[in-house]
Amino acid sequence: MNFYKPKNLIELFEISEKIKGKKYFLAGGTDINVQIKNKIITNEPIIYINELEELKGIRETEEDLILGALLSYKELLDSDLIEKHLPFLKNSLCNFASPILQTMATIGGNIANGSPTADIIPLLLVLDANIILMAKSKIRYLLLNDFFIGYKKFNMKKNEIIGGVQIAKNAEKGYKTYYRKVGSRKALTIAKVALAGLKKNNEFKIAVGSLNEYPRRLHKIEDYLNVTTSPDSVKIEELLQQEITPISDMRSDKDYRFQVCLNLLLNFIEA
Amino acid sequence: MKIDFILNDKPVSLVTEPMRRLLDVLREDFGLTGTKESCGEGECGACTVLLDDKPVTSCIVNLIHVQNKKVLTSEGISQKPLGKLLIDCFDETNAVQCGFCFPGFLVSSYYYLKSEGEPNLEKIRTALSGNICRCTGYQKIFDSVMMACKRKQEQEK
Amino acid sequence: MKKVRKFDAIPKLNGTYKFIDDYYKPDMLHGGFLYSKCHHGKIKKIKFPPNFNRDEFTIVSHHDILGENIVPEPEKDQPFMAETEVMHFGQVILGVAHQNRQILKKFIDGIEVIYEELPAITDIEECLSNEENAFGKTLEVKHSADIDIKNNLIHTKRVYRTPHQEQAYLETQGMMAVFYPNDNVIFVRGTMQCPYFVKSALDAIFGNSITKSIVETSEGIGGAFGGKEDFPNIIAGITALLAYKSGKPVKAVLDRADDILITTKRHPSWVEIESYTDPITNKLLKVKIDYRLDAGAYQTLSPVVLSRGVLHASSGYAIEDCYIKGRLFRSNTPSNGAFRGFGAPQALFAMESHIDNIAAQLDIDPYILRKKNVLKLGDEFPTTQPVIENNLYDCLEKVLENSNYHKKYRKFKEWNRNNKLKKGIGLSLGLHGGGYTGNGEKVLNSEIKMVIEKNADINIYVANTDMGQGAHTTLAQMVDETIGHPHSKTKVMLPNTDKSPDSGPTVASRTIYIVGNMLRNLIKEIKKQLRFNNLEEYVEKHQDDFPLEFHSHFKPDPQVIFDDKTCQGVAYKDYSWAACTIEITYDPLTYEISVDRCWNVLDVGETVNPEIARGQVEGGVVQAIGYGLSEFFYKKGFGRKYGFTDYTMPTSMDIPKIEIEFIHTDNSIPKGLGEIPMDYPAPALRNAFLNATGLQIDEIPLTPETILTNLGEK
Repeated sequence: MNFYKPKNLIELFEISEKIKGKKYFLAGGTDINVQIKNKIITNEPIIYINELEELKGIRETEEDLILGALLSYKELLDSDLIEKHLPFLKNSLCNFASPILQTMATIGGNIANGSPTADIIPLLLVLDANIILMAKSKIRYLLLNDFFIGYKKFNMKKNEIIGGVQIAKNAEKGYKTYYRKVGSRKALTIAKVALAGLKKNNEFKIAVGSLNEYPRRLHKIEDYLNVTTSPDSVKIEELLQQEITPISDMRSDKDYRFQVCLNLLLNFIEA
Repeated sequence: MKIDFILNDKPVSLVTEPMRRLLDVLREDFGLTGTKESCGEGECGACTVLLDDKPVTSCIVNLIHVQNKKVLTSEGISQKPLGKLLIDCFDETNAVQCGFCFPGFLVSSYYYLKSEGEPNLEKIRTALSGNICRCTGYQKIFDSVMMACKRKQEQEK
Repeated sequence: MKKVRKFDAIPKLNGTYKFIDDYYKPDMLHGGFLYSKCHHGKIKKIKFPPNFNRDEFTIVSHHDILGENIVPEPEKDQPFMAETEVMHFGQVILGVAHQNRQILKKFIDGIEVIYEELPAITDIEECLSNEENAFGKTLEVKHSADIDIKNNLIHTKRVYRTPHQEQAYLETQGMMAVFYPNDNVIFVRGTMQCPYFVKSALDAIFGNSITKSIVETSEGIGGAFGGKEDFPNIIAGITALLAYKSGKPVKAVLDRADDILITTKRHPSWVEIESYTDPITNKLLKVKIDYRLDAGAYQTLSPVVLSRGVLHASSGYAIEDCYIKGRLFRSNTPSNGAFRGFGAPQALFAMESHIDNIAAQLDIDPYILRKKNVLKLGDEFPTTQPVIENNLYDCLEKVLENSNYHKKYRKFKEWNRNNKLKKGIGLSLGLHGGGYTGNGEKVLNSEIKMVIEKNADINIYVANTDMGQGAHTTLAQMVDETIGHPHSKTKVMLPNTDKSPDSGPTVASRTIYIVGNMLRNLIKEIKKQLRFNNLEEYVEKHQDDFPLEFHSHFKPDPQVIFDDKTCQGVAYKDYSWAACTIEITYDPLTYEISVDRCWNVLDVGETVNPEIARGQVEGGVVQAIGYGLSEFFYKKGFGRKYGFTDYTMPTSMDIPKIEIEFIHTDNSIPKGLGEIPMDYPAPALRNAFLNATGLQIDEIPLTPETILTNLGEK
């Protein structure tokens, strides 16, 4: 297992460019070490990035908060800036994984791992967050909803890394908020169904996790709700059939996931 | 690779593979066997230590993560005044059963006592929710931490 | 009463207490196991990975066994290592040792076994619903009466199902073995419940080729709950073979995935109960129970679990016409084994759920049915054993009072009319016989030893282990409190088969109930014999007489007569009793249950150390809540779980407030305590859900998925 420890972003891009095959970026290690244990990662090169200052912390601009990819959940939950501008995001994540895992787990890692169950993604999706993709000489901002294209597949170029996410400070301002994560127990649990929602008058933003190959916005339902004044639950169910593709696995069942998603959705709409 | 860190308040240095699990290094290289392996995937908290004063599951922390940082294990905590206070409370309530998870609980409780310390059952429950115990049903652990929080408050008065 | 603290709490907290993986010897090898990934098949070929030097590894197979390749368990049918055929996934084929743990793992992972696959039963339902899979002896309990089945009786017939449950002790299984060639002695240390079981396993696997085997436990035993009753035999046997063959100390500690996949679990059950109840008197008149357990591939100790299951199958009710049939069923899965409760949790889940189902049919409060039928003085168990007390009835009445049951029963009905979240309260009874069944203790013939040292220390030598339940603290207390000796001068020595006599296995709550009482009687006899008032003063005066060693054997009660064949007679001399209510909140949006409160009233006799006793109940209740709510190991179509990420037992956020009261503590000896809190909560939880929703779900765990499926079928 080759190991690299770039000192800064420039070195990171140099090293990264040199490695042709598959490689892993090691941040907090909460996913990667489990993958090593389960022999999903065996001999691929590891690039340690957890100390890269450029990707740490939260920066504030006039309109946005920039959350570095290496921001840990603990830092996010302790942040006054988040508390001030994005209390919904904070409160929704306060039971993320476990208090211990929050220390090392990073938001960039949660996204890069590409799991359909990643807790933060449905929340970022309804907040219309941008993902910041960095290459050697270029930074681009992409709506997070456009970032995912398949199971663990991203709209991302070979030489790019995830730099962080950009969220407008007023992203949740004036909205009624809703978040439910349903797991097998109340802590240390992986979402079987997650639903995040924002609404203001007729404007709805809804995202779900654990129900498709990647977390996503329910645009068809949003579009329907944005134009109708009296939502019809039969119609919503019909649209939901088109929007989500839940599966049965060790943790849950297809039917259950669908039904709970529908229940939560209707609950959010009525609330 | 050479790795330097502060282990239980003493600077240490070793040359080894940077990807080794902190858990293994603590147990094998330093003989600190109070840190236990149980699930090996961060889901039980038996291997919890403090890294720069924050709790981590050392089974999924690599040695590179501790470069130039501070690591405090149950052995180190048991020498600190708040650690001793906690141990006394766990002992007094007869909370300990098999004890395999307890060094981890000691670390999480110590972190709570130090960073928060409010004798509030719901907060204690949440603070300990990354540590699994199969023997005790948690009640006496809550009682012990609650007792320690109250005693700490009294001491500070 | 003065409060006695556990002697081992502080070293366990500061990390200095040694568990098996904390032991180390220079020159030590690490041991590991190659196990079958095939459910049933003939072993055609074993291919070793080419990129390793095989000479660096010590490898043992069944060919290296010097004695017998059969684990000496109640039923001698399981080999230590597979020979030509594997009978289940997880069956050990080879033992391997190497000085480097990582290299060892990679080498074992690289070994490829080619099988000729044979038909296999891996699904629980497929195993238990087909009578052709029954194997071993059928057990029957009959309590006959001529009951006239009239048309007006309420007939209730239902099937109840429970899943595997993983013990999930936090410390995985592990052993260290050392061979001493000069003395031709094999020494094994490890995490185990029963040092003499391990010793007999070593004697079986080595036969006459060693002079002696010695077994000692590790200082700490990181939880067991039955899971370290018989499986350690296999690990110890193979690890010892590796040490013998390599000539070096070998330590084999399982990682979590292997531990979950290959070791024993609680037996899944399928229990059909058919009953006739008089709707006027609410009397249960006739009950027929078909009790089936999925034993796995081999019987091992399943016949004993089966026996306890059928003997607890009618729960705490007096039924004049009762017929219970118990059978083991074969599947190609790892043999199931002991787990706290030992057949009773399955039995009680079925019967206690059935009571609520009858009540639902009669449209009465299930408490009324329990009150009418609960075992009272003068009643008989199905074995014809007479009931000699009203203590179960007392538990029932007390738990109703403590939990304010009647008020809540009404209040929740009202609440549920007006609220989206539904509330429910459920009731269950529990009972558990202490010690070995019937004549078991007579056969065991336990022996204990006590040494009074020159400094007046009392050292107790027994084979019973302290795996966290506090047995060594409590046993010492039973001795020192009897003669007013300082607790600090009384201790139980680390169990070692060369020094501690065979006081029997650490199972079935027999440690305090049987061995503790033997120790108490022995110290009383010693006191009588030496005629001292104060032991310390006596030893001081008679220094030359000490150390003094005393032995004693179990003295069976002549009243305890049990016929194993007909299951008639006194199955258990002393029963512990319990009643429980559980309050839940159910969320119809997500189909999730939150357990809010659990009230327990128990008669476990004397509580020697009340805090330790409470800890046992709290821990047992939480394991039972996991059993009822979220824990399962196998899912059809998706196989088995192998880690704590998916095997979801309760965290600190999932548990209710637990209220405990012990009654009748002063008019009896310490009875069984370990099992009973695991036995009764799951049905109380299930009954609370029924109370909240009107939905009769006859299986656990009550996962939201199971609830939704049952809603759909309704």
